[in-house]
Amino acid sequence: MEKIGLFLGCNIPFNRPDIEYSIRFFLNELGVEIVEMEGAACCPAYGTMPSLGLLEWATASAWNLSIAEEKGVDMLTGCGSCYGVQNEANYYIHKHPEIKEKVNEILGKVGRKYDGTVKVWNVINFLYEKIGIDKLKQKIKYNLNGLKCGVQTGCHNLWPSKAFPSSEENTFFPTRMRQLIEAMGGVAPHYSTITDCCGMGALRSNAPEKSLALFKKKLDIIKEELNPDLNVIGCSSCLLQFDAGQSLLIEQKKIDYKIPALHLAQLTAIALGAEVDKATALASIPLNGVITKIKGGN
Amino acid sequence: MEEGGVNVIDLTQADESFVKELEALGADELRECIQCGKCGATCPMALAGLEFFIKRLVHAANLGLREVLLDDSSVWGCQSCNRCVEICPMDIKPYEVIQAIRRAAVKVESCPANTYEGLRNLYRFGHAVFPKGFEERRKKAGLPEKPPTALSFEDLRKKYQEILRNTILEEIAPFPLD
Repeated sequence: MEKIGLFLGCNIPFNRPDIEYSIRFFLNELGVEIVEMEGAACCPAYGTMPSLGLLEWATASAWNLSIAEEKGVDMLTGCGSCYGVQNEANYYIHKHPEIKEKVNEILGKVGRKYDGTVKVWNVINFLYEKIGIDKLKQKIKYNLNGLKCGVQTGCHNLWPSKAFPSSEENTFFPTRMRQLIEAMGGVAPHYSTITDCCGMGALRSNAPEKSLALFKKKLDIIKEELNPDLNVIGCSSCLLQFDAGQSLLIEQKKIDYKIPALHLAQLTAIALGAEVDKATALASIPLNGVITKIKGGN
Repeated sequence: MEEGGVNVIDLTQADESFVKELEALGADELRECIQCGKCGATCPMALAGLEFFIKRLVHAANLGLREVLLDDSSVWGCQSCNRCVEICPMDIKPYEVIQAIRRAAVKVESCPANTYEGLRNLYRFGHAVFPKGFEERRKKAGLPEKPPTALSFEDLRKKYQEILRNTILEEIAPFPLD
């Protein structure tokens, strides 16, 4: 039985725990043992320790990585930032032996160490590589029944690809999420701004109007080119923008349509038979027939 | 920043020591930039309309325009998306230039207040993002009130705080680290 350390981060356990429920559910259904990472902290977010120094970044990430290493597992996260930050920290630790030495000096003060053996996976690459399209197909209980999906992989899930354990063939033309959705019976076409940034993150915190305007540009194009039943998101931060951020645009009368949004983990869990109330507990845009369409197909 | 942004470069402000400081703070390939502009063509900061986006930041960094860079808050709007790192033909890691500018800015307290809020939450709870009302949200998703992270284990959180105190956070934090 495959095992994986579940790295929760911050936004998933505190803002969107329905993603945490969904990840736990799909791992169980797919026969992957969940190893809890007791004591794990923030990845840490780009605007915190990484903005203070490279050693600061590497040390704080190595705390988390050392927990997984001690338990002999890789880590899985549903958050793009957690994926990017920790993989980049790993990259720097490998590239700069002097940083690795200093990191271990600091970790040593509390009786920990990090040798650098842990890989950090996101939901997309984990499903695509560790589970595989064929196994996912076999395990599906509810076929997506032609549900049309707009796909958002998320910046941190794509770049910098050299720091990641696995990557798209062409990161500026991502297809893995589209293939996964199609394997579950959905339709996930390409669209012209598929790799554009959703505006969540530092931009949303420091220039909220510009962030929402950037998001609106992307959403308008998705509406015009695809008019999907659902947007499917590979990153929990992007999901906050596509769901709660979209609600703000509606409130401000900047858009006159609604496109429901789910994390890939939520959609996968539902297709595998998860309790819909729990898997979508915090969605702010109504799911408008998405569930009926999925469940009506079988 | 004046209306219309930083459009005139005043070379009398160029400060070689600031270039060296940025190199030491992680922008170690800064000098290799050829200003081709590929980073600017993919930068969400440019698309969102922040005038001082990656290409111009790298340019100003190369000239050592300390005041211009430390006064402007654009670097704090960078999404850390790393498109620029992916495509830079000289492999200068443009995002690391942004981070180096942030690191220099933090040392002189020239950063937005929410930077400290994130750091304070990180230190106190182990989580930089720590929104209120999470217990109720977790209950709705059928999960225990607290996740099995540093938040739930005081002994481990104390150890985490100890490692953070062994970094530059100890010097720059405007809140007590006890």
